[in-house]
Amino acid sequence: MGVLFTRSLGAQVVLPAKQWVLVVPRSRTGTAVPPVEAPRRILLRAGERRARRFPAAATEDCRSGERRACAVWRRGAVMAAADSAGTAGAEDGAGTGADGPGAGEVPPPLPGLQLVQQGAEARVYRGSFLGRPAVAKLRIPKLYRHPALEERLGRRRAAQEARSLLRCRRAGIPAPAVYFVDSVSNCIYLEDIVGAIAVQDHIYAVQRSGGDASSLLGLAERMGQLLARMHDEDLIHGDLTTSNVLLRPPAEQLDLVLIDFGLSFISGLPEDKGVDLYVLEKAFLSTHPDTETVFQALLQSYAAASKKSGPVIKRLDEVRLRGRKRSMIG
Amino acid sequence: MHLTHPLELFPERSVTLLLFNRVRNAAALRKKAMEGSIEGALINPAMIVDPFQVLVAANKAVHLHKIGKMKTRTLNAEIIFNLSPNNNISDAFKKFGISDNDTAVLIVLVVDREKTVNLEDIASQVEGQQVSLDELPQLTDIAKVKKIYKITPQEEKIGTLLDGIICRISTKDV
Repeated sequence: MGVLFTRSLGAQVVLPAKQWVLVVPRSRTGTAVPPVEAPRRILLRAGERRARRFPAAATEDCRSGERRACAVWRRGAVMAAADSAGTAGAEDGAGTGADGPGAGEVPPPLPGLQLVQQGAEARVYRGSFLGRPAVAKLRIPKLYRHPALEERLGRRRAAQEARSLLRCRRAGIPAPAVYFVDSVSNCIYLEDIVGAIAVQDHIYAVQRSGGDASSLLGLAERMGQLLARMHDEDLIHGDLTTSNVLLRPPAEQLDLVLIDFGLSFISGLPEDKGVDLYVLEKAFLSTHPDTETVFQALLQSYAAASKKSGPVIKRLDEVRLRGRKRSMIG
Repeated sequence: MHLTHPLELFPERSVTLLLFNRVRNAAALRKKAMEGSIEGALINPAMIVDPFQVLVAANKAVHLHKIGKMKTRTLNAEIIFNLSPNNNISDAFKKFGISDNDTAVLIVLVVDREKTVNLEDIASQVEGQQVSLDELPQLTDIAKVKKIYKITPQEEKIGTLLDGIICRISTKDV
């Protein structure tokens, strides 16, 4: 069997039927390069680049050519380790659901610990911290991410949340107090607003018991004022929904508290503020049907209370025209 | 008379607070503290509005000690440094540590749960009267606290002075 070498990359082979032959890839100069070396060389280069940027990950063995499916391989190893840590955590009696400990972190050892909520980003536990009712927010590690990135991102998000809460407090915007930031597990411990209900639940209750009376308009006005003050401080919440605003009892006093600043950031741009309001509008109108007047009242109160509201409202109108199934005219 | 509170996140440790009034040997105590011959951190009670403030600072200090990221050299120094809103260690000692002519002293000890602490031993070194921590609010200089922590008037509308202080302690250098 002869093998024909041509100038082009690869080789043209004259074969009898059903015979496997090694196809030798060629480099540009025409010299044969054994196939198993070429892919490994490229991978090592990527590994070197990554190792320079994230030195902790340099010792990982998964960069060799045979273990190219290293994401799956690595995830398997991490999941195995996490499962053993998770079962230990379950024995602590955290009382979480079936999928709770499986994601691989131990709930904080607070007395009276109970799982309150599980969002996409974090798990919220209630307990007592140094004698006071507190809430512990433990970030759920996303195992599909590279561990170094995951650690960095978790730390940055926890730090951003803590700093935004401090900024709110300085500006007089009601938000929970930060009790402790655990930089190792990226968990923050906040003041628990005892007895408060989410505005979402409040609106459901009001709608179920009768029409949206003036109480909802008063609520909308108060919310508009609060958001105006927040945006005047150039603080963007990032995840404004009616379940992220709490109402302290008694409900008539309209004592609102903003929570969940995990996606917040600092920005003075009307674009970011407009998008923040758009997120709230979408969440509001989709969760609570027939409340367009309430949201209008919120926007009016916002426009009246904020000094920089003109460009923001204009931007909000522009943002509304974007997005899916919108005609881009004008 | 004294207050002891376990640290939930560090199950083997607990924090004990002792308050002394009408203290005469503040200068000698300060010298002893600098040498390290007295157990515990010596804090000026005029700067403390509530024992919770000290507990939060101590909790953070124990956490940093555990992961080896303390800014000062000892745990007691770290507690005093954590109380301060800025990152200057000597300034923290000047404002929150005791000075030579103080008449009241707050001693904070972080102890392991199993080890029994000799409180009489410490009390005997202080020439003053040990009082209950319920008297702490009378010793607090609220105006000075507001000035040092830079508490804004709008902050006081949404929460207590203690909440504002705790936020600053826990989010400093985060």
